[in-house]
Amino acid sequence: MTHGETATATHGTAAPPLLTARGLAKAHGRTEALRGASLELRAGEILAVTGASGSGKSTLLHCLAGIVRPDAGSVTYAGLRLEELPEKRLSELRRTDFGVVFQFGQLIPELTAVDNVALPLLLAGTARTEARARAGEWLERFGVRGQEELRPGEMSGGQAQRAALARALVTGPKAVFADEPTGALDSLATEEVMTALAHTARESGTAVLLVTHDAQVAAYADREVRLRDGAVSPLEVTA
Amino acid sequence: MSTLTSDLRLARQLVHGSDRKEWWRIALTAAGAAAATGFALAAVTLASVPAGYSVSHFHGLLTGSGTRGGVISGLLLLLVPVLAFLGQCARIGAVHRDRRLAGLRLAGAAPGQVRRIAALETGLACLLGSAVATVFSVLFVLRLWSGPTAVTWLGFVLVAVGVPALGAVAGAVALRRVVASPLGRVRRVAQRTGRGPGLLFLSGLAVLVAVAPLALNERHVAGNRLDWSTPLTVFSLVIALGAGVVWLAGATARFTGGLLAVRARTAAPLLAAERLRDDPWAPARTHAAVLLVTVAGTAFLCVRHAMLTDLRATDPEYRAADLAYYTTGLDLTGAAVLVALAIALSGLAVGTAESLTTRRRTLAAQVAAGVPRTVLNRALLLETALPLAPALLLAGAGGLAIGIWYSSLTGDGSLPWTALLVAPAVYASCLLAAATALPLLGRSVRPGELRYV
Repeated sequence: MTHGETATATHGTAAPPLLTARGLAKAHGRTEALRGASLELRAGEILAVTGASGSGKSTLLHCLAGIVRPDAGSVTYAGLRLEELPEKRLSELRRTDFGVVFQFGQLIPELTAVDNVALPLLLAGTARTEARARAGEWLERFGVRGQEELRPGEMSGGQAQRAALARALVTGPKAVFADEPTGALDSLATEEVMTALAHTARESGTAVLLVTHDAQVAAYADREVRLRDGAVSPLEVTA
Repeated sequence: MSTLTSDLRLARQLVHGSDRKEWWRIALTAAGAAAATGFALAAVTLASVPAGYSVSHFHGLLTGSGTRGGVISGLLLLLVPVLAFLGQCARIGAVHRDRRLAGLRLAGAAPGQVRRIAALETGLACLLGSAVATVFSVLFVLRLWSGPTAVTWLGFVLVAVGVPALGAVAGAVALRRVVASPLGRVRRVAQRTGRGPGLLFLSGLAVLVAVAPLALNERHVAGNRLDWSTPLTVFSLVIALGAGVVWLAGATARFTGGLLAVRARTAAPLLAAERLRDDPWAPARTHAAVLLVTVAGTAFLCVRHAMLTDLRATDPEYRAADLAYYTTGLDLTGAAVLVALAIALSGLAVGTAESLTTRRRTLAAQVAAGVPRTVLNRALLLETALPLAPALLLAGAGGLAIGIWYSSLTGDGSLPWTALLVAPAVYASCLLAAATALPLLGRSVRPGELRYV
């Protein structure tokens, strides 16, 4: 039994859609990254987006998270059309309702682990002492105990990535967007990070959209969709 | 030799193949080299003027060997901030080209070879600027002076060749801590500790303490005849002062960062303070140049005021042509201070842009995670504003102290109120210079940066 099968049994397919994308198109210069991609992210599920390199996985994630605006199509979240929102509102949404995790780069090298995790709370106006206390709790949940005052450069790749997950989840988001979150890790660290992400997401009911090319990582998902040439084919959706 | 030749050929190809985005950095480097060449050629020209030759320009200021020597020294001192500016340009150029450097590493280039190629690129850009400045200087000299000597032309050749060579060396020195990995990341090896400027300051001070009494004694014995100890004293004074101010700038940044990092309540001061605490020496050189200009500018206004007050009080008839001799000298000094300020501010703007370039992926990830751009903008400005506030206060006080001392020797002890405005004006200019990097911040946080591995 895979991780995915376990999760499907728990959540089924009855959960309502949290985020819906219809007919997304996006070009980088002359290269069409997305050509009419459509999908739904359901509340509380872990959805893996897989596909070959250059198939448009990261671009799809960027469109869904409101990081870039699609050239055509729409992304609807909680009744809001993301492509119509101003940049300021999108930033606020990413800070409060969404969390993002990348392969690397999301932790600020000059800040300690606890300050990195506390940053979204500080931006939301939480007092620093309280923000640090809550950040410490999240680091502990992700097994980064005793490393709170280390800077990202002083931590192992797995520890830093777990701190990044803690930062993505500290505000209690409805959805986390993870772009190759274990791409720079070995298989042991990958397992640690993915176990922590899947466990915490299911515990808190957070939906996760996981972009990966790694079958080991995709196995943690409830559903998997495959992108090919910038489009999601319904025939290729696997449950 | 063949390695150097192939590196040079590669550097030439890289400069030639630069895309449009890189041309502005090449242009900055070339402009810095042109300024350095211009100052050096002016110094060479003045130094080659035969003794007793009367120069009609600048109210006879350049005729006297003493005042001409002062002007030459001023021109040579202006080379210091220009060379620092060139080093700054080389750094921003090389780090921005990390993907290209990584490509070179993947193709088998050693870290030292990559640094050498990047430095040679700087050298070629300097050659361009130097050539342009040399051509214009030759035309200018031929127009103003009918009889340049062989020494003048020899000096021109040495400067035209020496400035690109110095630019390449400055580029190599600026890149000594930068390593490009074959996987496309450029990082700094080993944190700066501030030990270098500290040791240089102590060494300069030791030489100064040892040589200055000798120089004073020699001058007393030999009148105005210059000997080996006087230039050595001036040189050690410049080294001690420069290194001391760099150390002071770094120490102030570290102290301010440490103090505010634990007290910051909001995101922007926390980001700025932690960055200062993490690497206080990164902006130390550009801040040091700003501090030196502030000391010089404040002291200059006081000295100018005291001198003119003294001259007018000595003899009411002592006006017009005679007074013009002194005011021309003072105006030239003021212009030199302004030029130095402009160079220091340019260095500050380039340094701020460089720090953004090296962090663009992290910054793009912050914006993707919802960190408002206004917070990042504020943090960037605070990185300049926080350490410079106490340092400029000290520098302004230092300049005033020099002014008060000079004024007490020559005048009635009064000071011009404008001297008090130098430090706040320089502070505002520094913030404006740092703010010029804000559009670059906007471009650095584009989602496209998240796509590169």
